[in-house]
Amino acid sequence: MNRLKYRVIPEGMLDDILVPLTIVLIDYEDVKACNLTMREACDKIAATIPGPAGLNMFDMTATTTNSDGVMLDGSMTCMAASDYGKINNEFGYLEMVELDYSDELIQEEPHLKQWKINFGDRKLIMGPDPKKKNIPIHNAVLTGRAGNNNSATEMMHCITMEEIILPISGQLQLMRDGDVEVGGTGWIISVGIGMVVAEEYGRIVPHRQFKVGDTAHKSGEYAKFLKSHIPIIAACKSDLAKYIIKALEAGMIPGKDIGASPAVLAVARHMKIKPDFDNMTKASFDELKSVGFTKEWMLENVEALTTDEIIARADEIIPGVDQPKTYKASDIVQIKYVEV
Amino acid sequence: MKLMHTKLPEFIKKMKDAATKGEKVKECNVVGLESLKTAKMQSLRTGRLEQAVEDLAKDARIDSVEVAVIPRRPESMHSAIVRGFDKDGKPLHAILETINILHPTEDVLLHDCEEIDDRRPPIGDH
Repeated sequence: MNRLKYRVIPEGMLDDILVPLTIVLIDYEDVKACNLTMREACDKIAATIPGPAGLNMFDMTATTTNSDGVMLDGSMTCMAASDYGKINNEFGYLEMVELDYSDELIQEEPHLKQWKINFGDRKLIMGPDPKKKNIPIHNAVLTGRAGNNNSATEMMHCITMEEIILPISGQLQLMRDGDVEVGGTGWIISVGIGMVVAEEYGRIVPHRQFKVGDTAHKSGEYAKFLKSHIPIIAACKSDLAKYIIKALEAGMIPGKDIGASPAVLAVARHMKIKPDFDNMTKASFDELKSVGFTKEWMLENVEALTTDEIIARADEIIPGVDQPKTYKASDIVQIKYVEV
Repeated sequence: MKLMHTKLPEFIKKMKDAATKGEKVKECNVVGLESLKTAKMQSLRTGRLEQAVEDLAKDARIDSVEVAVIPRRPESMHSAIVRGFDKDGKPLHAILETINILHPTEDVLLHDCEEIDDRRPPIGDH
């Protein structure tokens, strides 16, 4: 009999934010060590949780992109939603797609140039295959009251309609026992989430529907309110800064290769990297302006900083998360085991 | 002209009628269709549903029946038609948008039910 390890943030209040359903984080290495398939592991853990839960599994040796197109050291391998101890057979479980490297892929999705430069020894695991999904539009899984959407980066309770945003960089911090920021999503991240890149197997939006430099939201002043009220568990700013710096050092231009989100723009300014204004749409400028990030702000002659200085001052440089509180992962995550 | 589908009020009536087929008349409540003003309900499945209601109504243990209609896939895609009218009520300008809705799955209605007889065809079949 083996014991499968997993991490849990239980449903309920986490300080002053509501976690609307149980959040489960699983390391694929632990699953393999127990000779289980990914689905079997999710079923075993789900059986221990009577209420609604979202289950995310990570390959910490892989890479993927966040919604800005910035590449990270770790990826989801599958996602599940469970309720009453079970995962719905048709809609409750979904695996992510591993992509092969090709010149055509890099040409179509230039932000993936980061892959060979920064994470060449890692496999690239993106979102699910749209052809294999039973839920046609969202990259979501659903069981009973539990919803797990946008390739495991937002979880929701379908009856209370409460939700929590879990950027992948924050989840990777939880997996690594790093630090996270807990608070409200706020206006700035609500706008930033919309600055997506074109990806065939996008973790948020498939089929290269939105070009980099544009906004998926296209809702002007309304964009900042779309997610602003939702609680969030995000990576600490210094960790986010490291990823953004790596992408920028690999030659990524905001608005041309990677999304011109406020976080990316804020780091780029101090590295003296200008966004590609010509490639950015009026709609994206309007949404950025609505939260204070005007073209003038982007061109402001701010202090040039070394990467170490940016990381050290990341809390002051990178905007986002309302009333943030910093936690060690171990303060909010419980380690549990299930017999398998 | 009778089409191959059942009118919504007729559908509801058929469900209620089917619940009277046992030894004792039982109440049947149809839920989930309240926002529909008009609808043509698939005839083939209407008959199957009448049979299902009757099967339960004939069970002596059962006192009442509910027919809950929810999306087969827990995500439904809708068009939103935004129309602006003049003072006489004439539509002047319309904007079409789409809105996708996520729903709870059937598990919320079944989790405490011991006997489940799934008569649905796989997604994509009739």
